[in-house]
Amino acid sequence: MKIRTILLIILFLFLAGIGIGLKMFFKPHADVNQTDSAYKVKATAILAEFQKDENAATAKYSEKTIEIEGKLVAKNKLPNGTDLLILENEMEGISCQLDSSWATANQSEIKSLETGKPITIKGICKGYLMEIKVSPAVVVK
Amino acid sequence: MLKQFLIPFLLLVSSVGVFGQGKFIAKNAYISFYSSTPMEDIFGESNEAVTILDSENGEIIFQGIMTTFHFKRALMEEHFNENYMESTKFPKTKFKGKIEGFTKDMLKAPVANIKITGVLNVHGVDKTITVPGTLGLQDGKLVAGSKFKVIPEDYGITIPSLVRDKIGKEMEVTVKVNYVPFAQ
Repeated sequence: MKIRTILLIILFLFLAGIGIGLKMFFKPHADVNQTDSAYKVKATAILAEFQKDENAATAKYSEKTIEIEGKLVAKNKLPNGTDLLILENEMEGISCQLDSSWATANQSEIKSLETGKPITIKGICKGYLMEIKVSPAVVVK
Repeated sequence: MLKQFLIPFLLLVSSVGVFGQGKFIAKNAYISFYSSTPMEDIFGESNEAVTILDSENGEIIFQGIMTTFHFKRALMEEHFNENYMESTKFPKTKFKGKIEGFTKDMLKAPVANIKITGVLNVHGVDKTITVPGTLGLQDGKLVAGSKFKVIPEDYGITIPSLVRDKIGKEMEVTVKVNYVPFAQ
């Protein structure tokens, strides 16, 4: 009787372990649309922060979800189909690669975006390489 | 008197101008790496590498941010950044090299094979490598590419023995670039 209980407990733990393992293995990517922003900033302000002290700004923003308000200066498509929005400065601004599933569902909204107009995006900050890299990102408004 | 200063000044300005025109840039260069394993293929790719090619001397510079590499599984991405690359400690990868036997004509000819030698920095470790590549015009645009193998252990990346056999000894790196003239 006792051995049976112990065996059952072991079996239960074993199955739970497999379940947790599988869940971790198949864990989906973070959905940037559903995460709250850790920071809300103006494009010019965050650019100034990175240009002043890249290491400090990287430590502060890297891998964090941030909301950035700025001016859209370019709208491109990469060879693999990813939509790319650039804020403030085409060479040394903020480069945002749109989340592919969000972009697929919102093509008409992306088409209606006009360069020169203000825009707010939300995405995961990846750091600085001539420009601030944000990916994946979604358009807030 | 004026001429004495003006001419050297003009020469200086014009030479700076020529120098500035001699560069090509790509801000969304593609880098991927691939390794086949019995359980599952490991494949990560980034569209966010920055590269500059100097048409005066054939020097090529690459920089990439480790966390911009995306994987099919979130767990793989986590392991890549936290366990292997230690991306918080070593956020960037860099390459600085030179095209062997470079001439300016290479930039105006159709795509041809080249060889590049330079220093690759991954995980904070420098290693001199020579890799095959391609460079030239395709549909009027300057494109470049390369495919080569790296061994993680060469860059001080330790893979636990428990999973060492499951990850291929070598990683295949693929690079694709569409260059545009760099207006400075």
